[in-house]
Amino acid sequence: MTTEGARIGIDVGGTFTDFVLSDPRDGSLVYYKEPSTPEEPSRALIEGLRALLARAGLEPSGVAALMHGTTIGLNAIIQRRGAKIALVVTEGFRDILEIARSRMPSSFDFHAAKEEPLVPRLRVLEIGARFSPRGEATRTPGPGEIARLGAALREAGVEAAALVCVNGYAAPEAEAALAAELSAAAGGLDITSAAAIWPEIREYERTLVACLNAYIQPLMQRYFAGLEAGLAADGVTAPILVTASNGGSLSLASAAARPVETVLSGPASGVMAAARLAAAAGVGGIITFDMGGTSSDIAIASSGTPELATRTDIGGLPLVLPVVDVSAIGAGGGSVVWVDEHDVLKVGPHSAGAAPGPVSYGRGGTEPAVTDCYLALGYIDPAGFLGGRMQLDGAAARVALGGIAARIGLKGPDAAQAAAEGALAVTTAGMATELYKTLAARGLDPAGFALVPFGGAGPTHANLLAEEAGIARVVIPPAAGTFCAMGAAGADLRRDFVRSLRQPLDADTARGLADTLAALGAEGEAWLDAEGAHITGRRSEPSADMRYTGQAYELRVSLEGVELSAAAVAEAFHREHERIYGFRDAGAEVELGTARLAVIGLTPDLSAPSWPEGDPEPAPTGRRPLFRRGAWVEAAVYRREALGAGARLAGPAIVEQDDTTTVVLPGWSGRVDTMGNLHLERAAA
Amino acid sequence: MKLDPVTLEILGNKLAAVTEEMCLTLQRTGRTLYVKETADFACALAGLDGRFFAYPRSIGVSGFVGLECAPAIAAVGPLEPGDVILTNDPYRSEGLATHLPDLHMIEPYFHAGEIVAYGWCFVHCSDVGGRVPSSISPTNTEIFQEGLRIPPVKLMKRGEMNADVKLFLDANSRTAEANMGDIRAMLAALAAGRRRLEQTIAQHGADTVLAAGTDLVDYAGQKARAVLARVPEGSYSFSDYLDDDAASPLPVRLALTATFGGGEVHLDFTGTDPQVATAMNIPSRGRPHAWLTLRVLALVHTLDPTVPLNVGLLSTVRITAPEGSLVNPQEPAAVGVRHAAAIRVNDVLNGAFGRALPAVMPAASSGCVIPVVMAEPDGSGGRHVQVIEPMIGGTGAREGRDGVDGRDSGISNLANNPVETVEAELGIEVLRYALRPDSGGAGQWRGGCGMELTFRVLTDGSNVLGRGMERLLFRPWGAQGGRPGAAGALIVNRGRPDERRLGKIDVLEVNAGDTVTFLTPGAGGWGDPALRAPEAIARDVENGFVTPEGAERDYGPQATETATGFGPERAAWDAVFGAPAMDRLNAALIALPLASRLRRRGEILRAVLAELPEGFPRAPAPEAAAAAARARLADCLETI
Repeated sequence: MTTEGARIGIDVGGTFTDFVLSDPRDGSLVYYKEPSTPEEPSRALIEGLRALLARAGLEPSGVAALMHGTTIGLNAIIQRRGAKIALVVTEGFRDILEIARSRMPSSFDFHAAKEEPLVPRLRVLEIGARFSPRGEATRTPGPGEIARLGAALREAGVEAAALVCVNGYAAPEAEAALAAELSAAAGGLDITSAAAIWPEIREYERTLVACLNAYIQPLMQRYFAGLEAGLAADGVTAPILVTASNGGSLSLASAAARPVETVLSGPASGVMAAARLAAAAGVGGIITFDMGGTSSDIAIASSGTPELATRTDIGGLPLVLPVVDVSAIGAGGGSVVWVDEHDVLKVGPHSAGAAPGPVSYGRGGTEPAVTDCYLALGYIDPAGFLGGRMQLDGAAARVALGGIAARIGLKGPDAAQAAAEGALAVTTAGMATELYKTLAARGLDPAGFALVPFGGAGPTHANLLAEEAGIARVVIPPAAGTFCAMGAAGADLRRDFVRSLRQPLDADTARGLADTLAALGAEGEAWLDAEGAHITGRRSEPSADMRYTGQAYELRVSLEGVELSAAAVAEAFHREHERIYGFRDAGAEVELGTARLAVIGLTPDLSAPSWPEGDPEPAPTGRRPLFRRGAWVEAAVYRREALGAGARLAGPAIVEQDDTTTVVLPGWSGRVDTMGNLHLERAAA
Repeated sequence: MKLDPVTLEILGNKLAAVTEEMCLTLQRTGRTLYVKETADFACALAGLDGRFFAYPRSIGVSGFVGLECAPAIAAVGPLEPGDVILTNDPYRSEGLATHLPDLHMIEPYFHAGEIVAYGWCFVHCSDVGGRVPSSISPTNTEIFQEGLRIPPVKLMKRGEMNADVKLFLDANSRTAEANMGDIRAMLAALAAGRRRLEQTIAQHGADTVLAAGTDLVDYAGQKARAVLARVPEGSYSFSDYLDDDAASPLPVRLALTATFGGGEVHLDFTGTDPQVATAMNIPSRGRPHAWLTLRVLALVHTLDPTVPLNVGLLSTVRITAPEGSLVNPQEPAAVGVRHAAAIRVNDVLNGAFGRALPAVMPAASSGCVIPVVMAEPDGSGGRHVQVIEPMIGGTGAREGRDGVDGRDSGISNLANNPVETVEAELGIEVLRYALRPDSGGAGQWRGGCGMELTFRVLTDGSNVLGRGMERLLFRPWGAQGGRPGAAGALIVNRGRPDERRLGKIDVLEVNAGDTVTFLTPGAGGWGDPALRAPEAIARDVENGFVTPEGAERDYGPQATETATGFGPERAAWDAVFGAPAMDRLNAALIALPLASRLRRRGEILRAVLAELPEGFPRAPAPEAAAAAARARLADCLETI
């Protein structure tokens, strides 16, 4: 991509396809939303792009790059609608997917079932191929066996397959060669070699990476091909990049070869956008808070970099690829408010979803949802939802909440509001406890973080959550509703490489580590060269998983700036161990586990939009009553776009914009920074 | 209940989350295998009565919600801020600890100078000394062989570690440093709980938080009652056997009569065998102890997943566990592998409940957890010891659903080891780690398949340990006409001329080139196999869970009728050792002094077995021999 043309971020969601265009000529950002076309997702993308370019006054040739995130792969996995695939695995390990890690999802519920395997046992074939832990081939299939398996794969009528050899992680080239032989014998079938795509020790997890890749590959390739053709027909010749789960992006060709790296890109993009925004605004550590219709997610980032996880759950299956670490913390705007048979007030976990939706949507919903509570309490304006495109029925919400109030013994003229406030208190307490736990698992304290909300309900609920969780600052970005598209537009190229070593650390193996990282680096450089995009710089982040020999777990140790000698690498490990566990075992042998290298191709920073200065004491556009702590208080109402940089306001207040509403509680104040972010801070006591 | 419905819900969430945050702190800062991989730890908040009003929902050991802290608290006398109690002694803590490797800690939480709650946590540490490394062995006969006993003592006094206690701890463990690491992690967890409880009190007030503690227990009790009230009233009896007690070949009987009524259940273990001379005794102190009530909690939770996890659940349970029996042993019985007997306790509860709720309860699961351990010479005189895989089987079938193949969370929901990490660390080659076709019990709904682990030994003079092997004789039973699962087996050099089929092993010596095969039992089937849908049979055959021969045997026109769902071995055993006679025998034995109880039992069983053919009950007894044996047993009962 060049720095001259426009960069466009696109997020294909279930309801809307969001666009953000960054125009380097004047630093402006242009936003656009197009209703999604789930039956043929590329259509909304192509049509929306036309409208966006028209709005920005740009020709298709003026586009430098399209950065694009999609949930097609994720949805196919969750709904088990992927391709019909086969798995070829070392003889003796046919049940690798059935056994998995042998745990059940619940140890208490004896009606619990295990996850549905991605490949049924009848399409798991065994092959006489395996390696020793040192990578020597200990069994090699002959031509006869390969021909037999090729025939079996053809006969199985599958669209793709995965190959996994025991200890293949130690010999990825050999396994890749075997996959190629099998592919030839099976008439050119796409076969993903697990070791080639992700050479990390642990056969089950590696098998899943390969199976997930094969499972979504045909679907994704069809989608990418259609997209490319459609855009070309419109004269868009700019490179198309696909956002990845690790917060970076890949070329279309890379994404087609390794679609599994893109499955969690949606939430990752939003977190990346928040992380970059916070860094630009000079905010240190942040907790992102994405509140949607069915649930809310948080992630942690500092200095512009989100935390990554190497073990996430995707549709009930563990994924070991590095992904931006997003945790669910409970209810969303559609979560249902109800009363159990012992008259205790509950919120969720079931959701009214978009259909029938909350009672106030008037689509037949009879159970009140969290959104109905916002309405009853005056947080949102029934006439202003989605910029006024959808009229909400506030009276119906109050009636439904009145029913809840009666069930839990609330009386009086404001009983419905009291019930709504109770339901939000339950919701917020649930979110705060999950947030505490997520941070406790990392040894962090929420008090040191700022909350960055986005998603439709994020800014509405953020102040409540901050107050409950003891967070002193909330930073609300200007375009909270198209945040994932914004994240996509700014994404760097990024790919993670691994190689498991499993050796005691000494002078020899330290040299081996250096050689491995160099080899991964060369692989990464070649990858960046082939991505075909203009990048403004290159960077790589080496790290290694290490432990004291005999220990049950490994620590990820950054090797950035560390000399790759045995002593220096050991010292880096000792230091990390000391930081987390409070002591070091200087005499113990250190073991090298997995070497990791993240290879990053930097893209130009999005020009930071400058926000026009405004009145430091803006006049409210109106006032409306807000129900808080059992009584009505008068809140000033502002339009977000009318709040210029430097504007200040005091809670209770409400800030409205087309895609969301921000609630500022009594005792909190707000100010707008030069980039248009609205900062809420607890007023000094 | 004192609190309003909103505050109760909020505090219910917050207090459970406090315990989960304690667990996460412990998991993050702990460093031993039991903490990191198998999650053999837990944290909770106890009220002034020492019982848990808040317990983690999704992390740590779920079954210990019924433990009681009060005896350990009473034992140390008055407490001050910063004091922390440590104990691991099942007898002196009166069942808080249930074997010595579990280190339990209790910290009083103060507010305005008064104790308002207690934080509790435990970790299964690596070793507390005793006869064998890791401290537990089935063949220990007294608790004195199982390691250092720590009566409830103040490990911390006003925030300072008691140096004398630490000296004793360090001197009595093979892994003193790792234990101290676990203790530090527990202290961190207790501190995290203290801080979060203080914050909760600051937000809601001490009175409200204390009221929440009692209300939450009442609320859980109400919910549990509502669930148990759905069980048809009546008494339901069931008995099952452990193959043996690990020291002699004599089977060990567990018997239960469960009586449901008015939303409560009475579990009466009368008829259960006397305590054994090995380490399988369950130190329950005759209370609704965690190890005796796990299946009640699971039943309530299965039928109503919204019940908060706290001691209120157990307000519905009464227990009769005869003193001196396997389920309520007298000091100094060894208790190190009490979980092996607890698996069978689970089975008898499951069986009795199944008589009341046939459409809810599954058939027997595979009923064993075998940590297959390799001890290979390390080349310098010592041995390198490591678990290859914790081997389990499947779950029993139930109405409307086949059992789960190769997974069983019944007693401990452990993760397995990747074969690749095992091969990187041990000199073995794993040849097969797979499901075991045809092992799941036939039925309208099929029981889950057991598993196979076969590995080739690469080092001469290696030892293989297979503790926890069970159901090699008495099979996992089927329910409602379902057939039992296949029994377990251990085979050396399978399919070779030097093949050996072994029973239970303590230590098996093997050499380079030998192969070792563990086959775990399959789980029981549910309902008459003749009613199984033909498509389901075809699907099983197509996927290889059942072989064509197996399908012919179990579902074909020639499918043999078996008398009971227990399998022929149990049928042969019951034909001699029937339930009424065994109930009488155990009633008489329990009345004897501890010292002569076990001896008399052995004498009687051996005398009766002498009338029966070698290999009984695996080899059936001719009717004449069975009659003679019955007569012999009747004689013994007269003269006991």
